[in-house]
Amino acid sequence: MVSHHAPGLGAQSVAGQSLVVDVPVSGTPRRRVWPRFLTSEHPFPWLAPITALILAFGVYPLLYALWLSFFKRNPITRLNVFNPTWNWGKLFADERVWGAIGHTYLYTISALAIELCLGLAIALLLDSDRKGYGLLRALMTLPLVVPPAVTGMMFLLMLDGSFGVLSTGLVSLGLWPAQHPILASGSTALAGVLLADIWQWTPFMVLIMLAGLRALPKEPFEAAAIDGATASQAFFRLTLPMLSKIIALAVLIRGVDLFRIYDYVKVMTDSGPGTATETLTSYAGTIYFKNADFPYASTISLFTLLLVIVTSSIFIKLFKVRF
Amino acid sequence: MQETFWQKRLRDVAAVLVVGLFMFPLFWWALTSFKPTSAIFDKDGIVWFDFKPTLVNYAVTMLGKSRAELAIESGNTFGIGGASSYDSRQTIIDSLIVAVGSTALTVLLAVMAAYALSRMRFFGRQAYLNWILSQRFMPPIAIIVPVVFMFHYMSLLDTRLGLVIVDTLINLPIAVLLMKSFYDDVPADVDEAAMIDGATRLQIFRRVVLPMVKGGVAATAVLCFIFSWTEFLLSLFLTNSIRTLPVKITTFVTSTGSEWGFIAALGTTAVIPSFIFILLVQKQLVRGLTLGSLKE
Repeated sequence: MVSHHAPGLGAQSVAGQSLVVDVPVSGTPRRRVWPRFLTSEHPFPWLAPITALILAFGVYPLLYALWLSFFKRNPITRLNVFNPTWNWGKLFADERVWGAIGHTYLYTISALAIELCLGLAIALLLDSDRKGYGLLRALMTLPLVVPPAVTGMMFLLMLDGSFGVLSTGLVSLGLWPAQHPILASGSTALAGVLLADIWQWTPFMVLIMLAGLRALPKEPFEAAAIDGATASQAFFRLTLPMLSKIIALAVLIRGVDLFRIYDYVKVMTDSGPGTATETLTSYAGTIYFKNADFPYASTISLFTLLLVIVTSSIFIKLFKVRF
Repeated sequence: MQETFWQKRLRDVAAVLVVGLFMFPLFWWALTSFKPTSAIFDKDGIVWFDFKPTLVNYAVTMLGKSRAELAIESGNTFGIGGASSYDSRQTIIDSLIVAVGSTALTVLLAVMAAYALSRMRFFGRQAYLNWILSQRFMPPIAIIVPVVFMFHYMSLLDTRLGLVIVDTLINLPIAVLLMKSFYDDVPADVDEAAMIDGATRLQIFRRVVLPMVKGGVAATAVLCFIFSWTEFLLSLFLTNSIRTLPVKITTFVTSTGSEWGFIAALGTTAVIPSFIFILLVQKQLVRGLTLGSLKE
């Protein structure tokens, strides 16, 4: 306990605190040396460090990016000239941006649909108290923590046209034409990238759905069984509606992450072949690294953020997601 | 709905098959790391177990041997090459420093902030929480270009400290919301009892509440470590010479061909710490992934 022995400061007990002061537990009365907002009784000192950090490295860069997007970069002089409409005008006229928006939404929505359905199915499968299922559930979490760049590499190796185990397997089973490597063909490259995402993130859905399933009350299911409901009736009439809140939450969290997909695309196809797998973030990365057009890269990034905000707000309103 | 004997067996078989399917890429990856180059690139067919296991890939990436050295040692001159750029010892050390540093900083800050957010009632508390949450949803790409500029002026570009700061920034929202959910589990009576005994907030925090959420702090730390360990985009933009593992691994893909053996060896090494840690926090994993809003 703290012990102040500064004579002269005396017991300046304040009304309201007198109850605390009169109890001689800590030995000495509490007195006020610091202004109240600097003491541990006030939230300020608790929150100040993280607020400062987020303001300095999160909010300030965002405003900086907005400011930067109002400049036109001259590729020869490498000078930025103030021209507020240049990048934004360019953005809306840029066909690659529209292509990237299409790829991003296609990727996000198909990944969400596949991962959700697979995740729910696997969760139902693994939701058993019998011996060994705990181990299976634990194993199922492993893909989640593989660095996404490493996951991309894994699938790059397995999908390689000449010596990849997956592609060779598919070809020898007659499921895939040999002259049509998955990642090197414009029409299927995005599906190849999607495969890595599905492998890594279906376990996310499995885990959340399992938590949801385990929290369901038993009584409605018992009542339904007595009334002679079939398993599918119980699933569609009871399980799904009762899980709907958790599903919405999982879709929101996963969806926001999917929308900013970068690692797999960068590692597996580098937006190619051509621009077949170019997403908004990977296009921004290309503009940054290859063209060094920082203002335009900022503009594309901000536009991505804008789409995330708009899409997720609509989703939150529509499905009444609450944290 | 009671399962019959055969329904049970059917479920067992299906469950093992599905989990096996998900484990296959990991198995294949680990297997590849022990293969000699000739077995990885065999175009006549996929080599399953018909190869002589080798530790060359680990020797090059983990011990910094060049393949020429190894070839001379073993008297086998197949596939000479593989210069010192495949030596990943420094990369592992850098990755560890960055992950541990940002985890420590994140946990320290989040443990404090979350306490106030859980226990104190003040104006704008909900708005503040939403603001923190919105930080989690912000794509890192949106701030990365200005951060590069800022770091350039602050001489933080290509430093471990710079990576620690941005990783902390990315992890903070998750850590704060997660820690808050752990504090919320501790009844407020505990604080009130201590307060009646004359303890200050700081004393309550340090001696009463913090010891009660030790498990939560550990889980938060583990998750922060994993997120930092696997982070790719930020370190790609912010570093050149200091490389974290996920970025280093991608440099093994070159225009003249990919060193799959080395990639697999380093990749296998990279997932081991994550696997150990994730098995430690199985119970809190769902809570961590849903930012504290879903408890198992």
